[in-house]
Amino acid sequence: MSTRDHVLGIDRRRLLGREVPLPPRGVRWAMSVAAFFTFWWAAVEFGFLGFGRFVGPVDTLIAIYGYLAGEPVAGGNQSIYIHAAYSTFRVVAGVGLAALTAIPLGLLIGLSTKAGTGIEWNNYLYPGLESLRPIPPVAWVPASILLFPIVPVLGFSINTAVLFVVFIGAFFPILVNTVEGVRNLDDEFRRAAQSLGADSGQVFRHVIFPAALPSILTGVSLGIGLGWITVVAAEIIAGNYGLGYITFQAYRLLQTDVIAVGMVVIGVLGYASSAIVQRVADYATPWSDIETS
Amino acid sequence: MSKQESDADDRAENRNQDTNGYEDIQNGHRESGSAGSERARATGEALVEINELTKTYDPDGAHVVAVEDLDLDIGDNEFVTVLGPSGCGKSTVMECIAGYLEPTEGEVLINGDPVAGPDPSRGVVFQSNRLFPWKTIGQNARFGPQMRNDVDDERIQQLLDDTGLTGFEDSYPHELSGGMQQRAELVRLLANDPEVMLMDEPFSGLDAMTKELMQEMLLDIWEEEDRTVLFITHDVAEAIFLADRVVVMTARPGQIKDVIDVDIDRPRDSSVLTSEAFNEYQERASDLIHDEAERAMEQKQQETQEA
Repeated sequence: MSTRDHVLGIDRRRLLGREVPLPPRGVRWAMSVAAFFTFWWAAVEFGFLGFGRFVGPVDTLIAIYGYLAGEPVAGGNQSIYIHAAYSTFRVVAGVGLAALTAIPLGLLIGLSTKAGTGIEWNNYLYPGLESLRPIPPVAWVPASILLFPIVPVLGFSINTAVLFVVFIGAFFPILVNTVEGVRNLDDEFRRAAQSLGADSGQVFRHVIFPAALPSILTGVSLGIGLGWITVVAAEIIAGNYGLGYITFQAYRLLQTDVIAVGMVVIGVLGYASSAIVQRVADYATPWSDIETS
Repeated sequence: MSKQESDADDRAENRNQDTNGYEDIQNGHRESGSAGSERARATGEALVEINELTKTYDPDGAHVVAVEDLDLDIGDNEFVTVLGPSGCGKSTVMECIAGYLEPTEGEVLINGDPVAGPDPSRGVVFQSNRLFPWKTIGQNARFGPQMRNDVDDERIQQLLDDTGLTGFEDSYPHELSGGMQQRAELVRLLANDPEVMLMDEPFSGLDAMTKELMQEMLLDIWEEEDRTVLFITHDVAEAIFLADRVVVMTARPGQIKDVIDVDIDRPRDSSVLTSEAFNEYQERASDLIHDEAERAMEQKQQETQEA
């Protein structure tokens, strides 16, 4: 491969003994997307499996355009923005609450696992929490509808059942990653700080917390991902707003374009939120590509 | 903590006085004006006293005697290397001095007082680099003084200059080479102005050339700054090149096999390594350690088979 080809971004591959230039990256990318849309279109057009009942890519794009302009969706009065805002709020609030509880608990459990650190909180807290962990978050939906009411706050009705399901979905990945982040720190970092004169508060602030931070942020990132999974599942069953709700409502009303639009919007928001968390994590932990264990 | 603070204050005071009448005030352990080409061997009372130290571990019921009945005195401003095969308990000795471990039997005294936990007057450099990866080189360097709100920026700058780290203050440790990381860790230790420097095979991860340069730099710093050093190594040449005294340890249970007084003039540089005297010391130490290394290897094999 010559330097010139390298600069142009052209990658040569051998085909039947001859060098064949590959198209530039952007073209390959576009081809992949185009192929996906073509398969979708063909499946609908030729009635593959149940696709004959579903909306095609062109109609979906037109529908997206309409709903982005503010058309009400799925037989209600609200635009897609209202529903997206409900779902986003539930994810942010649920994951936020999960982070606020799971991070301190995880630090406490992780710290008390080390020998000679006073009360062994891990023995009191971890077994109980661990026994709830195997329950898939979505399995909490029926119980939470019974346990958690709809609370009116400032004119909005907050569905605490959905919030709880999101909370429980995000709680465990954050907890487990925080505990591991603290446990995986090599003792010598703590010892080094002590020998430089740090007291236990300073060891926590300057050593244990920053050392665990990359792992904690990994937990939050996983939590956000699970938050979007659980919010959709919970809204399908319990919601009267939200992207999960309209997607399922559209199924009932056989508005297949709304189903497709709902799926696309959920995907975009899920992707955007993990990208934001990733950016925040990269900014907050510029050292995190190296090992501290 | 209040004790630590007052210790720190004392040392800070010493440093201030150093600028006026350097030699005379040095704790009275050394005669004034004795720091010529022939360096004064440690005299007077010992700074670190290890009395009948025994340390046993009981991981999962297995009874391991790491160190048994070890007696060792380290004088003020003395450079002592501990040479021993791997797994002979040399790190255990250091960890007892640092205050990370409590002796099972016996005691470790510093200036006559028993060790009660880690203290900034006893600085430690570990085998693998333990700069805080989440702090920049500059933040690492000022970590110790920052803990007691007593950062002397001029001194830290001086140390960074001396070790060729100027301009890397804002870099993170993983952006530096192994040798630079090790220098930065040394700066972090010196910025804290410890009385005793405990070094656990600090250069074992470096390539041969870098290692030699680091050894020379360490000696330069030590000769300038008057400190007591306990340096652990399994490298015979390194042990002799650096030390006033080489303490050769046996395989487990760790005991002192022999002590070699190294009578080579200071300041030393790498030319010492080819001298006849150095070769003689090296031969003697190698002989001493050879059997022990064999025994240590057999122990290791046996343990592996049992496990």
